[in-house]
Amino acid sequence: MSDVPIGNGRVGKSAAGYVEFDHVWKKFRYGEHNHLRDVIPAIMRRAFRRPDPEAGLWTGEFWALRDVDFRVRPGEAFGIIGPNGAGKSTILKLLTRIFRPTHGRCAIRGRVGALIEVTAGFHPDLTGRENVFLQGAIMGMPRRDIRRRFDEIVEFAGISHFIDTPVKRYSSGMQARLGFSIAAHLEPEVLIVDEALAVGDESFQRQAFARVRELVKQHIPVVVVSHQLDAIQSLCTHAMLLDRGCVVQLGSPAECIATYLKGVGAVRAEDGDGPVRIDAMRLDATAVVSGGMIDVELDCEIRADTQVRSESVRVCVRAAASGTLLCEADSVDLGLNTPTAGAFSVAVRLQLNVPSGLYIIESLIWDRVRGRTLCEGPTHYLEVTAGVPFSGSVQMNPTVRVAVASSRPA
Amino acid sequence: MLTSQADTAVPAPDVSKGASVMDDLREIVGDFVRSRELLSELTMRDLRIRYKQSMIGVAWALLTPLVIVMSGLLVRWAFASLAGQPVDGAVIAGIAIKSIGWAFFVGALAFGTSSLTQNLTLVTKVYFPRELLPLAAIVTQIVDSAIGVLLLAVMLPLLGIAPAWSLLWVPLLALTLVLLTTSLTLLLACANVFFRDARHLVQVIMSFGIFFTPVFFDAAALGPRGARLVMLNPLAPVLEGLRFAIVNGHNLARPLLDARGVELWSPWPMYYAMLLGAVGIVGSALVFHRAEFSFAEYV
Repeated sequence: MSDVPIGNGRVGKSAAGYVEFDHVWKKFRYGEHNHLRDVIPAIMRRAFRRPDPEAGLWTGEFWALRDVDFRVRPGEAFGIIGPNGAGKSTILKLLTRIFRPTHGRCAIRGRVGALIEVTAGFHPDLTGRENVFLQGAIMGMPRRDIRRRFDEIVEFAGISHFIDTPVKRYSSGMQARLGFSIAAHLEPEVLIVDEALAVGDESFQRQAFARVRELVKQHIPVVVVSHQLDAIQSLCTHAMLLDRGCVVQLGSPAECIATYLKGVGAVRAEDGDGPVRIDAMRLDATAVVSGGMIDVELDCEIRADTQVRSESVRVCVRAAASGTLLCEADSVDLGLNTPTAGAFSVAVRLQLNVPSGLYIIESLIWDRVRGRTLCEGPTHYLEVTAGVPFSGSVQMNPTVRVAVASSRPA
Repeated sequence: MLTSQADTAVPAPDVSKGASVMDDLREIVGDFVRSRELLSELTMRDLRIRYKQSMIGVAWALLTPLVIVMSGLLVRWAFASLAGQPVDGAVIAGIAIKSIGWAFFVGALAFGTSSLTQNLTLVTKVYFPRELLPLAAIVTQIVDSAIGVLLLAVMLPLLGIAPAWSLLWVPLLALTLVLLTTSLTLLLACANVFFRDARHLVQVIMSFGIFFTPVFFDAAALGPRGARLVMLNPLAPVLEGLRFAIVNGHNLARPLLDARGVELWSPWPMYYAMLLGAVGIVGSALVFHRAEFSFAEYV
């Protein structure tokens, strides 16, 4: 399936695959219309009214993507990030040709290998062998290639004993391994990866990462759509930040991630225009070695007319990749009494005993009596770089010693 | 959430101009040529699944048309005892031929219409030309019917039917039957994604369509006006044509009159069915192709 333009596009011939989104717009509709009772009035409305000229939309429609424009060339790994509802999945479905753009042009040249839904074509009643050929054909692999690589596929999946057993008797892990193995041997000319990298066990993830890196090295354009900012950071050469269907930034992964994380804070600060607020947050560094210290300084202000009797300043640390709350420090719990009115600043020192990666530092003022957040302050992102090598989730500052057992005296 | 260009976005472009019909046709043919292997894989899958976990397996391919033939014979026997016409080999052969055609139509329609909704995970998650799902159902049904045709080929000489030159019409009529069935299946499969009403329509066709199609009876039995009316059903001239070409050895390009001068066969309804099949396949492929990109958004 080479050289398949979609939309109204046409792509010229050349050896390598590439991806091109040319001012792509995609429209969706809210709700359901599957009864004549709904359809006929909708048709009548369309016949007599014009769509909203500003947005080009009928009632009940919305733009899932607006004017998205990017290119991915061979050897580039392109990461797409953004909050939920930004349009990442829509781009994914346009890339895999499941959707067509409303306007604009998506040109994807070359056989698309998607490390997503690797078991979608499996039929439970068919054997592993039959499913390899079926799934391979669905993924666009010529039958002679499947036959040639059949043993390799089965070997890689590690299920040779069960290849003539219906896949409904496979464990879900075996199914996933077989599906991944087929996809991995597809010899794609364009690779698309999504959250698939986040599922499966650790060895499956490692396998997937290794395969993606290998393909980037082979000059295959790769598109990664993920919430895992650290995965984007470590895999990608280029990135795009999306929000509500619009491109916010195109650039290096670090730049886009920085904007994304700053953006998270920018909005929170807007809420803080009340009687209690945190005006600024300063970090003494933007990057720190794993196990190192960071000083956070917060400028707070509490107006005298508030009814609040007992408030505390809190600093939270989250993992950017997962959003998991790692640590929440409360000023009162730590034995600090902040003024009940006026402007003051609070300094917090944190030791980051965490693996390398991206972290979010959040600030807030907490009402200790009612147990609720009074205001959310600014947010910063922090990069933790690798220090002493270790694996796992907590840096425990290990030290090692050896004592040689001396032979017993005679 | 983020401060983005959302508020200062470029205004939406004008309503897009659709691709031309020729572009679409080129795409359909291109897709089809590229996906031959996938079509055969999907057909193999359908064939394997159809007879897996079934006690008599492939025998079902014979049993279904056999039951239709038996019920047809019962109906004809009842007519015969009323009207005093004998039920001879020619009558049995005629019913058997038309029954296999009808069984193909009904089977293809049933499997083809549900093919998209039964493969939802595929449709929403992986790209391939979606035409292949209903087409695979039809090819599966062709293979299935071929078993019945082989049995018929063995039976016909036993019923006293000798081969004639008019058998040359059979491939053309079979093609027309496949085209008509495919057109209707593509449209209904497509409609079934958006409106589940399509499934009920297929149920009605499967149960009652046989009364509006000359399978158990001959079109001429309805009288000249009735025959003309029933021939509007494009399956009628196809099935009747198959019977006249095989059983009567009649050259279908010429009309056939009985001893009293009543017209038994006229070629015009057959030409109409052929034309409808040719126009139908192009039209339904276009409709399907235009709609297939919204399948994943609707289901």
